[in-house]
Amino acid sequence: MNVEELIQRARTITEEWLWKTTTELTTPDHLSVWLSTAKDLIPIVAMLRVQRMGYLAAITGLDLGTEADEMEALYHFCTGPVTVTLRVKLPRQDPSLPSLSQIIPSAEPLERELQEMYGIRINGLRNPARLYLSDDWPQGVYPMRKDFQPGEEPVGMEVN
Amino acid sequence: MGNIQYPWKHTLDTLRTWARVNSPWVLHFNSGSCNGCDIEILATITPRYDLERFGIKLQGSPRHADVLLCTGPVTRQARERLVRIYEIMHEPKFVVAIGSCALSGGAFRGCYNVMGGIDKVIPVDAYIPGCPPRPEAIINGVVALLGSLQTPPAGQSLELDDRSNRLPEVPA
Repeated sequence: MNVEELIQRARTITEEWLWKTTTELTTPDHLSVWLSTAKDLIPIVAMLRVQRMGYLAAITGLDLGTEADEMEALYHFCTGPVTVTLRVKLPRQDPSLPSLSQIIPSAEPLERELQEMYGIRINGLRNPARLYLSDDWPQGVYPMRKDFQPGEEPVGMEVN
Repeated sequence: MGNIQYPWKHTLDTLRTWARVNSPWVLHFNSGSCNGCDIEILATITPRYDLERFGIKLQGSPRHADVLLCTGPVTRQARERLVRIYEIMHEPKFVVAIGSCALSGGAFRGCYNVMGGIDKVIPVDAYIPGCPPRPEAIINGVVALLGSLQTPPAGQSLELDDRSNRLPEVPA
């Protein structure tokens, strides 16, 4: 299949099979899919798996800041030259997402990274412990959030 | 006064310093480096630069090492390990910070998981700047450190006399 056919197929899967998703062709080989709720994530990922539409290449987080009061989780699926990105909007207060590890076991480290860096709770992880942050990192501080301010002294070790 | 209490002390100290200056064993520790400086250290030990002509030998255990070569900024996770390695080494011990990151944190300064340079965590005796420093710079820094051992700073009991070996000249 060429790029256009792959994009068309991804559009069919994400737009017609699932309600209220909107898609946008950001570049000729990249399709962004906005999911209406986080509940749609598991069905749409299962459908992408069944249709053999790519592999989960990365999970990205996006903090839109305190004014927008929103966060985003982006799931990038790659098929040959085409990338399909599932985007889920989340509230900044207590965001949570279902885990994909039942469908894609290798998603677990990516989800754990998203959890510790952005504070997005992932439900259904086999091991929800920290993965990359150091052992003495303070609880409830998420370094990739917009309101995180790295000072001259490390977090939790400020000399007052 | 040491000579009165313990007549062999002076001779033994001289011997010890002679041995230390002529054959320092170095331990290399990477506390978060990008491996650029580590590769330069390895290049320094190769026969082309031949650090062994100064008696310098890379040593695996901190218990046997005299000099700690540190590369990279100190990450939060590596801090405890660096301090532990420094404490395992026995006195007198010397720390050489190699590369911009080890000096100040470099490109990683201000990052959420970085403490800063090596001297934020343990005392440093010699600084070798560069990103990465050339093997000649590393040799120069280490030899400068060894030279400073022959005229020890106050507080360190390195007794020496004029008969102690002088270091060989660093090649240009």
